[in-house]
Amino acid sequence: MRTAKQPSPPSEAATAEVSRQTFPAESEQLRQVCESVREAASLCGFDERTSYACQLATCEAVENVIQHGYRGAAGGQVTVETRARPGDLVVEIVDDAPPFDPTSYPLVSDASPDDMQVGGRGILMIHRVMDDVHYERRGNKNHLRLTKNRAFTGA
Amino acid sequence: MEIKTQPYERVTVVAVEGRVDSASAGDLEAELKRLIEEGKASFVLDLSGVEFLSSSGLRVLVTTLKTVRKAGGDLRLAAMSQRASDAIELAGLDPLFKTYEDREAAVASF
Repeated sequence: MRTAKQPSPPSEAATAEVSRQTFPAESEQLRQVCESVREAASLCGFDERTSYACQLATCEAVENVIQHGYRGAAGGQVTVETRARPGDLVVEIVDDAPPFDPTSYPLVSDASPDDMQVGGRGILMIHRVMDDVHYERRGNKNHLRLTKNRAFTGA
Repeated sequence: MEIKTQPYERVTVVAVEGRVDSASAGDLEAELKRLIEEGKASFVLDLSGVEFLSSSGLRVLVTTLKTVRKAGGDLRLAAMSQRASDAIELAGLDPLFKTYEDREAAVASF
């Protein structure tokens, strides 16, 4: 795992705390991914419930990269960058797996006893937690940007 | 993640603690499969100690629910932590499960 504290760009110097960590694309790293988001959420002043929701959404996104992006292939990496300002968290997840746009999938509905579909739940969780979800393919990398700027008070 | 199993007369209580994500969900799935293979079909999952519950863990809960309902049993949730409850609602899976304030109430419901 590489860790780098990035100096903030001049325009955000007074407010944004930027942290970037690169992890092997393995599920055993999810705890560390959560920890990096927890630290950033704390800098934003988020309450415990909002912080947890952001950790959950980020981990769902990273699980998607591991399972659907790299498809379990060894050697992949995923970079998680957090930009924290009071009341405003941006998490950007960057990987060099083949193009994978989680925002292109239609959102599943709430399950019912007649429809216990389990697929697509992670993407639903990401959209329900985050206030903005943006995907972009830049060069040979996937960039998924998750923004949270309102308190989470329930699904 | 820690799993503690406690047999009752008509039901098996499985208490899950810690993180349930794609790194640990396989262990929970294996334990529930083992119990089902022993002939158990009625479960109470005590989620009071769950600190993190991702869609990988939720997938195990739903697949187990399907299996035990087919066998005439059920999987009911007890004493959910706020974190477990939030994850289940965010995933839109709360309509599937019967939930109880505490373990005793869930056991008595069978």
